Amino acid sequence: MGLPNVSGDLSAEMEVDAFRRLFPLRFYERHLADSIRPDARPLGRARDTTMALGAVASADGSALTKIGSTTMLAAIKMEVMTPSTDSPDEGCIAIDFHMPPICSPIVRPGRPAEAAPVVSKQLSDTILSSGMIDLKELSLVSGKAAWMAYLDIYCLDADGALFDCALLSAVAAFSNLQIPVVSLNDDGKIVVVSEEGEEGKLEKEPVNKEKRKLTLRSLPFSLTCILHKNYILADPTAEEESIMETLVTVVLDSSSRLVSFYKPGGPVLAYTSAVQDCVALTRQRVKELQKILDEAVSGMEID
Amino acid sequence: MASKPGSAPTTYTPTPTRKSRPPIFKDSDVDWVRPDGRGFHQCRPAFFRTGAVNAAAGSAYAEFGNTKVIVSVFGPRESKKAMMYSDVGRLNCNVSYTTFATPVRGQGSDHKEFSSMLHKALEGAIMLETFPKTTVDVFALVLESGGSDIPVVISCASLALADAGIMMYDLVAGVSVSCLGTNLVIDPILEEESCQDGNLMMTCMPSRYEVTQLTVTGEWSSAKMNEAMQLCLDACSKLATIMRSCLKEAASATQD
Repeated sequence: MGLPNVSGDLSAEMEVDAFRRLFPLRFYERHLADSIRPDARPLGRARDTTMALGAVASADGSALTKIGSTTMLAAIKMEVMTPSTDSPDEGCIAIDFHMPPICSPIVRPGRPAEAAPVVSKQLSDTILSSGMIDLKELSLVSGKAAWMAYLDIYCLDADGALFDCALLSAVAAFSNLQIPVVSLNDDGKIVVVSEEGEEGKLEKEPVNKEKRKLTLRSLPFSLTCILHKNYILADPTAEEESIMETLVTVVLDSSSRLVSFYKPGGPVLAYTSAVQDCVALTRQRVKELQKILDEAVSGMEID
Repeated sequence: MASKPGSAPTTYTPTPTRKSRPPIFKDSDVDWVRPDGRGFHQCRPAFFRTGAVNAAAGSAYAEFGNTKVIVSVFGPRESKKAMMYSDVGRLNCNVSYTTFATPVRGQGSDHKEFSSMLHKALEGAIMLETFPKTTVDVFALVLESGGSDIPVVISCASLALADAGIMMYDLVAGVSVSCLGTNLVIDPILEEESCQDGNLMMTCMPSRYEVTQLTVTGEWSSAKMNEAMQLCLDACSKLATIMRSCLKEAASATQD
C-alpha cells in the first residue's frame, strides 16, 4: 500500500485539480469523510431537476428533462399496426434509448456506447412492468388496428444517472402524449381527422373521440445510488460513477411500491441495511420528482 | 426494443384524410403568402445558445422556427490509430437525425451526405495547422427538422467550434434559398422545400467576403441565380452578426 501514503504526503503541496486527477479516489474519500461532495452536495441529495413538456412539435408527446447536467429528450410518435391474434385488443409500446455522439466524448459515430442497450432494456422492463399504461387503451378497432407508441429517448448530455433521467423523461413524455383523432376509411386504413373545423364534411366517425389521453396509473420514478465503503451517494455524476463502481438503482411507483431493483455487480457487496437506506432515499426522491412532474403538467394546462 | 420479442409488426403513420392538399401558391397569384406568414426575403427568427452540452469541449444549440439542432465539438484529441501522420489537424464531421425529427418516423441514422457537406463547408474556415497530428470532432444531431436543415447545422457547428476555442478565420454562416415558380424564398421551411423547383445553399465567411460552399440544385436561370446569391450573401452577414452577439453574450456572462 505504498501509493496512498505517497498521495497523502503530496496532497499538502499539490494543486487541488492535479490531486483530483491523479488520486481521484483519495480526493473523493477526503470529501466523503466530511459528508460532503466536490459539487457541494450532501451525500443523499440529488441534483437540481428541471422539466419542459412538449419540446418537440413533430412528435405526439415529448419532454426534455435535466438532472444536473444530464439531459434527456424523449418523444413519442404514434403509428398504427395490426394487433397480433393473441391480443387483438392491445396496442404496443416500443422503447429505445439512444446515446448519439454529441452526448459524451466516449461515444463515437458508428461505435455505439455500451451503456445504451443496457439502459434501453432496463427502461422497457420498468415501464412495461410498472403497469403505468394499460395496453388495452391503445386499441383502436379490435383485431384490426391498434396504436404502436414509439418512445425514443435521446441523451443530449451524459453526466451520470442516465437511467434516472431517461425514466423521468419517458414518464413525462407519456403525460404529455396527445393521441391524434383518427377514423377508419373504406380501405380499412386508419387516417387522421383534420382538426380544421370541417365537421360537416367528415366522411367517417372518428374511432377514438374519447381517448385522446392515456390514463397513467402508478408512475415509476427512480434513484441511482453509489455504494462505496459505508457511504451512500445519491444521484452520482459521471465522474463519481467512473471512480466508484458499485451502483444501485431503485424504482418505486408513486405509492412507494417497489417496481424494479438493479444492482449490476460491482466491488461492494451491499448489506440489507444499505439496500434499505437506498430505498428510503428513493422514497424521498419520488416525492420530489412527482412534484416536479405535477408542476410541469399544470404549467402546460394554464398555457 | 419492441415490447414483444419476435414480433416486429409493420406500422404506418396515419395520414390526413384530405386527398390532395391545396398547393401553397398558384402561378397566377402574385400575392400568395408563405405558410408561416413571412415575406419572401425574410428569414425565420434565429436563436443561438452556446454551451448546450457540458460533456463536450464546445457546443451550440440553434433554433430556426421548427428546425432545432445541437452540435458538440470534441478535441483536439488523439487521431484514430489507423490514421497516417499529418502535419495539419483533421476535422471529422457527423450529422444524424433523431427518429422523431421528421413528420414520418425515420430510422434516426447518420446522414452521410450532410456529414460530408458539413465537413467541406467548415474545413476552409478552420486553421487546421494550429492542432497538428490531432483530430477535432464535430457531431451534429438534428432534434427536429423544419426545413433548411443543413445551413442551420453549418452555422451552429461554426458557433460550437468557436465555443470550443478552435481557431478559425471567421464564423461560417449558411443560408439557403428556394426557387418556387417565379419567386425566390429565403430560408424555406419543410413544406416549401418539398415543392421547390430549385435550391441554392451558400455558406460563407461574411467578414472576409469568402464563400466556403455553394450548392445549386434544380432549374435556375442565370439572372435568378445572381439574385439568389446576393440574397444569401446579405442574409449570411446578418446571421453572422447574430452569431457574434451570441458569443459576446456568453463571454460577458462568464466574466461576471
